[in-house]
Amino acid sequence: MAEAAIALEQEEHSTVEKQQEIPPDWKPNIIAFACHYCAFAAADLAGVMRLSYPTNVKVIRLPCTGKLDHIYVLRAFEKGLDGVFVAG
Amino acid sequence: MSEIKSTNGKKRGSVLIVGGGIGGMQSALDLAESGFKVHLVQRDSTVGGTMVMLDKTFPTGDCAMCMISPKMVEVGRHLNIDIHTLAEVVSVEGEPGDYKVKVKLEPRYVDEEKCTGCGVCEEKCPKKVTSEYEQGLTVRKAIFSLFPQAVPNTRAIDKDNCIYFQKGKCKACEKFCEAGAIDYEQEEKVIELNVGAIILSPGLDRYDPVVRQELGFGRWPNVITSIQFERILSASGPYKGEVKRPSDEKHPKKVAWIQCVGSRDKHNANPWCSSVCCMYATKQAIIAKEHDKDIDPTIFFMEMRAFGKDFDKYVDRAQDEYGVRYQRAMISAVREEPGTGNLLLRYAREDGVLVDETFDLVVLSIGFQPHSDVAEFAKTFDIELNEHRFAKTTQFQPINTSRDGMFVTGIFQGPKDIPETVMQGSAVAGEAMALLAEARGTEAVVKKLPPEKDVKDEEAKTGVFVCHCGINISQTVDVKKVVDSVKGDPGVVHAEDMIYACAQDSQEKIKKLVKEKGLNRVVVASCTPRTHEPLFQDTIRDAGLNKYLFELADIREQCSWCHMGQNEEATEKATGIVKMNLAKANLLEPIYTDSVDVTPGAMIIGGGVAGMTTALSLGDQGFDVHIVEKEEEPGGVVRNLYHTLDESDVQAFLKVKIDEVHAHPRITLHTGTEVKSTDGFVGNFKTTLKDGTSFEHGAIIIATGGEEYEPTEYLYGESDRVITQRTLEKRLAEGDGPKGGERYVMIQCVGSREEPNNYCSRICCQDAIKNAIAIKKKIPGAQVVVLYRDIRTYGLREDYYTMARDLGVMFVRFVPERKPEVEVVGDHIQVKAFDYMLDSEVMFEADWLVLSTGLRPHPTTEQIGKLYKLTRNPDGYLMEAHVKLRPVDFPSEGIFLCGLAHAPKNLDETISQALAAAGRAGVVLSHTKLVVSGIIAKHDRDICMSCLSCFRLCPFDSPYIDEEGKVRHNEVKCMGCGICAGICPAKAFQVNNFRDDQILSMIDTIADTTCH
Repeated sequence: MAEAAIALEQEEHSTVEKQQEIPPDWKPNIIAFACHYCAFAAADLAGVMRLSYPTNVKVIRLPCTGKLDHIYVLRAFEKGLDGVFVAG
Repeated sequence: MSEIKSTNGKKRGSVLIVGGGIGGMQSALDLAESGFKVHLVQRDSTVGGTMVMLDKTFPTGDCAMCMISPKMVEVGRHLNIDIHTLAEVVSVEGEPGDYKVKVKLEPRYVDEEKCTGCGVCEEKCPKKVTSEYEQGLTVRKAIFSLFPQAVPNTRAIDKDNCIYFQKGKCKACEKFCEAGAIDYEQEEKVIELNVGAIILSPGLDRYDPVVRQELGFGRWPNVITSIQFERILSASGPYKGEVKRPSDEKHPKKVAWIQCVGSRDKHNANPWCSSVCCMYATKQAIIAKEHDKDIDPTIFFMEMRAFGKDFDKYVDRAQDEYGVRYQRAMISAVREEPGTGNLLLRYAREDGVLVDETFDLVVLSIGFQPHSDVAEFAKTFDIELNEHRFAKTTQFQPINTSRDGMFVTGIFQGPKDIPETVMQGSAVAGEAMALLAEARGTEAVVKKLPPEKDVKDEEAKTGVFVCHCGINISQTVDVKKVVDSVKGDPGVVHAEDMIYACAQDSQEKIKKLVKEKGLNRVVVASCTPRTHEPLFQDTIRDAGLNKYLFELADIREQCSWCHMGQNEEATEKATGIVKMNLAKANLLEPIYTDSVDVTPGAMIIGGGVAGMTTALSLGDQGFDVHIVEKEEEPGGVVRNLYHTLDESDVQAFLKVKIDEVHAHPRITLHTGTEVKSTDGFVGNFKTTLKDGTSFEHGAIIIATGGEEYEPTEYLYGESDRVITQRTLEKRLAEGDGPKGGERYVMIQCVGSREEPNNYCSRICCQDAIKNAIAIKKKIPGAQVVVLYRDIRTYGLREDYYTMARDLGVMFVRFVPERKPEVEVVGDHIQVKAFDYMLDSEVMFEADWLVLSTGLRPHPTTEQIGKLYKLTRNPDGYLMEAHVKLRPVDFPSEGIFLCGLAHAPKNLDETISQALAAAGRAGVVLSHTKLVVSGIIAKHDRDICMSCLSCFRLCPFDSPYIDEEGKVRHNEVKCMGCGICAGICPAKAFQVNNFRDDQILSMIDTIADTTCH
C-alpha cells in the first residue's frame, strides 16, 4: 500500500513543475490571515510587547478565520506568494 | 451655552464634573452617552490632567497620549459635554437632584468661536516662558496651548508673562491672527449652572522634592523628578524622546531611581504610599532601556509594591529581560561629583556594607498629594476631608463624599493608578445615573449629523494619511517615504503625513480635506483598527461621508513596534500594508445599518458583593436585574470576612446589602442555579437557567468572584496550630482569642507570587496587618511576627502598617529562595527564618502559625469564559477589553466585568468596580434603540441554492428557512463572522467590508509589492 502511494506521488511529481533551487539569500513572502478577535489582537499584542519577528509577513484582517475562502489561499500562491499563514 | 428649562422642583438631567483628567473624562463620556447633559469644569486651559504628561503606561507600554487623545477628542466634540476651561467653582447651593453652581471663568484672551487653532500666534509670540507641561525642561510662549493635542485647541494668553499686558506694547499675536480671534479686552466672568449631581475629580499635586534638600533636587541639575523623566522619554518632549541629561545633554549610562520620595515618610513628607511609583519607575527603566540599550538602570527601593494585575510579571521581566537592577536601600544623600555633573549615592547594601556608587542621572520617584488649596475646595462643596486631606469616604461607600449627591473619583479619593481612576470614573457616572434616573434624557440634545453624501456611483477619490505617532512609528518607518510611495496610486487624490493623526487638529484637517478635495474614501495608516477605527469613522461621518468608507492600516503594532532597528525593511513593509489597505479602500461601499430595540434589563452572574452592588445600582437606575447565584445563599467570599482594615463591620454591611437586594422591586435573585445558555447579542440577550427559568435582558455582568487558596505549605492540615488568616479573623471576631501569652507568627505570600501562581493576591498584607493589630490591641504584650517578602499596604493603607509597627508587631523579611522553615515541636510550632537586617538566622516559637493565603479565580470562571467566549490571563482571571482605559468592559459588546473575576482586590475596590460595571451597563441599557453593526453578512437570495451549508454552520442561527422553503438571513442576529461566506459554494453571502473582491485586492497588492 505504502509503496503504491509513493509511486503515485512520484508519478504526480513528474508532471508538475520541477522544484527550483533555493538561492541562499531567499526570503519567503508570507501572507497571514488573522481573526480580528484573537490572532489579529495577538499580532497587536506582539507589537505592544515589542516582540520582534521577520518583516516578510503581512497580516490581512478577517472578521473570523471562518471567513477564509479557499480562493484566498489559491490566489496567494497563484500570484507568487510563498507562504500562507492562517491564525484564529 | 444651551438653555436649561426649569424642572419645577424635579431632578435635573445634568451633571457637573469638576476636573477634566482621565477620571473626569470617563464620567463625562459615560453620562453624556446615556442621556445626561454634562458640564466639565477644568482649571487648566485644556482637558487631560496628569495622564497627558506621561510617555507610556505600565504594564503594556502603550503610549499614554495615543490612548488619551481619542478620549479628549471625544469629550471635545460630544454634543452633550460642555467644557469650561480656566474655570473654578466658586459656590454651590441646593440639594441632591438640583444644585445651583457658580463657576468663575478666567479670560483666555482668545475667542474660541473665531480661533481655528492654526497656532501662528504661538509661533510669532516673542516671549518665552518656562513650560509647566514640560516640567521646566524647556520653554513655551506667552500665548500657548499646554501641549499640541490640547482640547480645546484654542491658545490662551498667559497674562502675567505677556509683553503687551505687562508693558503695554507688542500685540504680535493680534497682528498675525488672520481669524481676528485675539481679544485683550476679555474679562473674568461668572456663569451659573443648574445640575442634578456633582462629581469631584480634581486630581493631584506632586510632592515638591526641594523640601528634601539632601537629595539635591534644584541644586544638582542631573537630579530630576520622575515626571521630568516622563517628558524626557516622550517623543514630543524636550529631547524628542532621546534620553539625555539636563546639565550637558549627554546620554546618561548609569541611571538611578530613588523610590518613595515624598511618600511613606511622615517627618519630611507624606505618610501614605503613592501606589504607583514602584510600577512607573519600573516602566521608566524599561522604556529608557528600549530607547537606549546602553543605559544601565538601578532602582533603589524600600519595598516593591507590584500589587496589581500582572504587575509582578512586569517587574520580573524588567529584571530578567531588560537587566534592571533592583537595590533594596534607602538613599540618605545625593552629592555631585565636582566637574563631571555625575552624582554620588551612598547606601547600605543588604549585608550592611556602606557603598558609594556614581550615577550619570538620578530620577526621584515623587509621590502624589492633594492640591495645596484642597481645604478651600472642600469648603466650596461643603464636604469633609480625611486626616490626610483626601476626600473622606468609607470602605463600603468608596465614591460617596460626606454630602449626598456629590461623588468623588480618582486621586482625590486616595492614591491610585489610571485603570482604578477610570473605574471610579464610570462608577460615579453610574451613581449619578441612579440618583437622576427619572431625569435621564431631559436635558441632553440629540446629535444632528450632516446628510450623507451619495458616493455610490462615484469613482474612488481616496485620501491617505500616514501617522508618525510621535516617534512610535517614525523612528522605525520612514513616514514621508510611505506617503510618497502612494502618491499617484490608483484612486489617491491626496496623501500626507501627520504627527498624531488622532489629535483634534488632525481630525479637523481630515474633515476639511474631505470637503475641499471631495474625498470619498479615507485611509489612515497608524495604529490598530481595534482601538482607533471608530474615532476616524466618526470623523469622516461628521464630514458627510458614510463611516464605512474608511480603512485603517496598522503600521504601528504590526510594523514599527515589532521591527525596531530594521528601518529599511519596516518602511518597505509599511508601504505594502498601506497599499493593500488602499486597494481595499478603493472598493469600499457605503453601508446602511438597522437599529434594534434594547431590553432594559441586565443579568448578573454571581451574587457576591460585586454582583449585588451592580444589581442595586442598575435597579436604582430603573432597569430590571436578574442575579444568578450558584450557591443557595448570596454573599460570596465576603461571607467569611468580618472586618475591614479600618474595623468596619463587614457582616453587618453584607446583611444590609442582601436585605436591600431582596427588597428591591426590580431585582430578582435566582439562587442555587447556574446559566444553562444565553442567546442573542448586546441589547437583546435571552438566558435560560439550569432550573428552567428564562428571561430577556440587554446586558450581562460577570461577577463570578474568587475563592481562597487552600494551602498545602508549612504543615497546613498536619497541625491544628497552623491556620489561615481567614480562620484567625473568624476566631478573633467570635472572641476566641487572643489569650494572654499567645505567640503568633504569620507567613505572607503563601501560594502567591511564585510559579505556578506568580501574582500578588493584593489583600493578604492588609489581612495580616488587620489581624495583627486586632491581637495587639487586645493583648499589647502578645508576640506577633510577620514574615514577609514585601509589605504592600499601598495608598492610605500605609497608616495601618505604621500603626502595626507602633504597636510592636515585628516584621521580618524573607526571600523566596530562603523560605521560613516550620517544625512542630511539642505543642507549638517552631519557625526558623533568615533575617536580612540582622544578617543571621532567627528562631520564633509560635502557638499559632497563621498563613496569609492568596486568592484564586472562582472555578466557574473558566466555564463562564468559554460560554461567553471571554479570554482569561495565564492566572485564570478574565481579561478586560483594555488594561488602562476599559477596565470593566469586554471586547464583546454588552458584557461587563467586576470583582475578583477580574483580579484580586480589596472590598472597597470591588465596590468601586461593581458600580463602574453598573455605570457602563447603564450606558447600553439607557438607549431605546441600538444601531446594528454594519459589519454583517449580506445574503443574495437570487443566487442562493439553499444548500443549507450556512444554516448548519452559523454559530448564531441567523440563516433560517422561510415559508418558501428557502434560506433567508436574519441580519440582526448576524455577528459578521463570515463563516457562511467562507462555506457558501455559490458565494451568495458576502460580509460588508470583507467582501471577496476586497480581500482579493489586498492579496493581489501584497503580491505586487513583494514578489518581484
